Order: sequence, then structure tokens, then C-alpha cells
Amino acid sequence: MPDGMSISVNGQSQVPPGFRFHPTEEELLHYYLKKKVSNERIDLDVIRDVDLNKLEPWDIQEKCKIGTTPQNDWYFFSHKDKKYPTGTRTNRATAAGFWKATGRDKVIYSNCRRIGMRKTLVFYKGRAPHGLKSDWIMHEYRLDDNTTDTNNVSTMVMGEASQEEGWVVCRIFKKKNHHKDSPILSSTTTSSITAETRNLQMFDSCTNEGALEQILHYMGRSCKEEDETNNSNSTCARFLQPINTGLISNINGGYSFLKLPSLESPNSTSSGQNCGYGQSMNAEMVTDSDQGTIGNKNQVSNNLVYPNIHIDQTSLTNWVALDRLVASQLNGQTEASRQLSCFSDPTITMAYSNDDNDMQIPGNLLRSSSSSSNKSYHATTQQHDYNSEIDLWSFARSSSSLSSTDPICHMSTSPI
Amino acid sequence: MGDNNVNLPPGFRFHPTDEELVVHFLHRKASLLPCHPDVIPDLDLYPYDPWDLSGKALEEGKQWYFFSRKTQNERVTNNGYWKAMGIEEAVVSSSGRRVGTKKYLVFYVGESPSGIKSNWIMHEYHLSESASSSSSRSSSKRRAANKIDYSKWVVCRVYERDDDDDGTELSCLDEVFLSLDDLDEISLPN
Repeated sequence: MPDGMSISVNGQSQVPPGFRFHPTEEELLHYYLKKKVSNERIDLDVIRDVDLNKLEPWDIQEKCKIGTTPQNDWYFFSHKDKKYPTGTRTNRATAAGFWKATGRDKVIYSNCRRIGMRKTLVFYKGRAPHGLKSDWIMHEYRLDDNTTDTNNVSTMVMGEASQEEGWVVCRIFKKKNHHKDSPILSSTTTSSITAETRNLQMFDSCTNEGALEQILHYMGRSCKEEDETNNSNSTCARFLQPINTGLISNINGGYSFLKLPSLESPNSTSSGQNCGYGQSMNAEMVTDSDQGTIGNKNQVSNNLVYPNIHIDQTSLTNWVALDRLVASQLNGQTEASRQLSCFSDPTITMAYSNDDNDMQIPGNLLRSSSSSSNKSYHATTQQHDYNSEIDLWSFARSSSSLSSTDPICHMSTSPI
Repeated sequence: MGDNNVNLPPGFRFHPTDEELVVHFLHRKASLLPCHPDVIPDLDLYPYDPWDLSGKALEEGKQWYFFSRKTQNERVTNNGYWKAMGIEEAVVSSSGRRVGTKKYLVFYVGESPSGIKSNWIMHEYHLSESASSSSSRSSSKRRAANKIDYSKWVVCRVYERDDDDDGTELSCLDEVFLSLDDLDEISLPN
């Protein structure tokens, strides 16, 4: 093969053979997106502008080709626009489908300093809520508006507003399918009870929109909340909640997963790297007292009776980390409750009342009380009844003792 | 590292496909044609341990590239040796022609055969017989005397096996979140 293997980028220059555009996340944010935002010229116009609403993923693939060699991923700039003039959601619908956010946003660091966030989205063909999930994945990178002080609550609130507008740099690729048979997800037959519970609560919290639209809405918000507080409890909760619903339906085998709510213990959070426990609690306090939109969001997530699970994002990047967390929980169960008495800070006390909620939820769900669970939930919150968690575990034990011999279950119900 | 200064904007990295390694770099090296860019050094005479390749071989993203020659026995370094894993893959060009072979080796610390297996992996690319013979044919008129040498070159990629999340793929957790989204799609009557 002669020199034809040299490739040109947009006819401007030549990229020698063997070289590919594989920027690091830091390069994407700190070099390319920064230049884009500040209107500086970028050498070799390798990252093009794409109107995400006009191009399907397979069109982007065509438009963002670099040279003629095969590519596994494609890069482009996109300008985010709000879906509705009054709202804060981004419109990511195309003619053939829509991009939907998944997971939680990842903080991108450069030299231990936070420089931006990465959102993961999936392309669905069709229209929400009946879209058909495709293998197209997008990583959307945005710069932090204010990288100096992420602890400052006011910057968080501002960050939320501007997060839905402006330039982002994106990478799309096709998911490889080697993880398709994840053990947890083979049980996609969600318990109708829990699913119903959730939907009813969705209706409760919003009457103007359909329940499924509301789910999407809530998901969009939860992604934002996460950014504000950097490590918001309620956001994590949304993702782990389906694990609970999925496994409660499978009581005999799944009790170890009821452990998950108790992850918010001093042990696991204090081991986090970049999120002080007090810090995220502070954020929650502020949003609570805020009468504006954020306060509403907080209310929504409370209504949903999602367990508040606090997981440090950096520590939970893979299953090994998850295993470690669970293991640390098993060891720390008694320790966690012992430390209750050590805290006199009122914010921390509040955190523990939340903990109690966590413990209550699975019980409530198991009793299949849907709307009434809301009330009992709030009742226990106010009582600050730390003993209520024992109720759950004894309940768990009694219901599982019939068939479950899971050692984790027995360990977790060990006396406090 | 070579006489060609590769001056590309940030984000461009040496990530050659197997075909490029064989067709562009190895083939040209074996045919004594100049490589453009001449980025892969020839470390044939230097028995570097894999952890010593930094600064000597072409380094890109924790992978090191260099030219060497075929060895009859195990490739021995200062502190160990490379042992074939017994895995060989054909390197096929985009036109479907077999252009080379990719062999997998693993590095053992110590003396053969009692060395301790490490996490260091080598991909050793060979020109396939037809490719090398055609290359020597094409240049046989000029350098018939050195004909045998041409096919002795290999190009090596060395890296340490690692399960890093470099953000270029979905993490396991991402995959789970992704699948959990399916649960949100469940709609119920009423």
C-alpha cells in the first residue's frame, strides 16, 4: 500500500499512518472545548460542529470521519439548547430517535482539580417512552463553569442553570456487547407491586405530565442534582432503587441486596475521597430551605421514597469496588450504629434519620403498601426512631429464614 | 526518535491497526524503504526488559513499539525472557489479503524455563511468507544479496496487562446503569 495511507483532515493537513485521534478526556475539555468556548482557532479542524437534533448517530459517523481509515469513535462539538424556554432540560431528539442520559455524571479531573463533567447518553430509536435502545453511546463533556470552588453552594446553583446551554464536546461510539448478560439484569421481570408503587408515586408527585414522561423528567433532574451537590444522595438513590425493586421480587435469592441502602454509613462515606459527608449534607440543607425549583426537586425525590444511598462515585467504578463496599458494610454494620452517638452535629442527625428511611423502604415495599408508604415513611422520619431499622432486619430475617441461607443475610442481621 | 518530526495537535496518538503496522511499517522496514514517519526505533541489538523500554521504544499510551529481528529461540532480555503463548493471528489487509502474522508472547522474569510469569505482553508481528517474498522479489533486483535479511524483521508492541478505565469504553457500572434503564421503560395498565 503506497503513500495513500496518509490521511488528510478536512483537506487541510496530513495525518501520518498509524496515528489516530484518541484524545484524553482532559485534552477534550482543556484543549478543544476550552478553545471552542473562547472562540480560538483550533489547528486541524478535527472536531466539527454537529446539530444533534438534525443528525442521527450513523450520520454523525459519516460527518465526523477523520480521513479514510476505520474509526471506532467520532468526535464533535454540539451546542446544547433548552427543550423548553422555561425549563432546564436539553432537547436531544432527532428525526429517528432521541438521546437519553444514563447512569450518573462522572467528574473529570486534571491534576487532581475538577475541570468538567461527563454525561453518558444512549440513543433510542423511536419516541419516548417507547424508544428502542440502540448500541450507540455518547459521552458528553462539559466544562465546569466555575472550577475554583465546587464547595460553594451558589456556584452549584448557577452551574445547574448554565449546564443545559452552551458548547459541549461529544464522543459517540457503538457499545460492545460483551456485558450483555449481566447477572443482575437477567431478572428483568420486575415485581408488579414495586413497579406499581413507583408509578403511583410518580402520579402523586406530578399530575400535569404522564407518568413515564415524569420518569424521564425526574431522571433528567436527578442528573442535574448530582452536579449541583457533586455527590447528591438522592441521585445515587435513583439508580440503586431499581436494584431493590428488581430483587425484592426475588426475595429468596436477593436479600444481600437489601443491604445496599445501608451503604450510607460513616464508614463508607468517610472513605470517600472528594466528598465530605458534611459537604453533601450542607448542599441538601440549602436546597431544602430554598423555595425555588431546587427545593421542589428535593421534594420530588423524597416523595419517591427512594432510599438515600451515598456512594462515593470514584470508589464505585467497577464491580470490585462494589464488592468492597458491600464487604465494608458487612464489617461495619455494628460499627456504624455505634458511631451514631458520636455525632452531635444536627445535620448529621438528619442524615441518620434518612438512614432510617432507607431501612423502612424495603419493608414498606414488601408490604405492598403503595401510597400509604409515603405516610409511614414521613412518620418514621420525624420520630428519629433509630430502632426502626431493627424492625426491618428482623422482618427480613423472618421472611427469608424460610428459604434463604445466604450468609450475607445472616451477617447483616447480626445484633446491633 | 526518528528523523520525522510528527507535529500533530493534541489528541493524536500512535494507534496503528495491525494492518498498518505490518503493511506500512514492517513491510517498509523489511524492504529497506524509508518509513514516513520514521517513528519506530530499531532495538534489535538491545535486550531491554519491558520496563526499560520507556525512552527507547516508541511509547504511546503505555504501549511500546520497536523493530527487532526474528529469534530462533526465546527472546532473552537482561532479566528474563519472552515466551510464546502459542496464540497466532493472521493479519489481514482491508482487501482481504493475508499480510502477516501476529504472535502473542508473555514475559517471564528469571531464567528459562523457571522464570516467573509477569503481566507484560508482547505482540510480535511477522510478514507473511507471501508478503515477505513479494517484498524481497520487488527489491531483489537491487539488493539480492541481502534478500534473506528482509524477512527477518519483526515489529513488536509491548504493554503491561491492566484493567484501567480510560474512559474509552463503558465501565461495568455504566453497563449496569444502562440495563437498569430498561426497568424504567416498563409501563403498566392504568
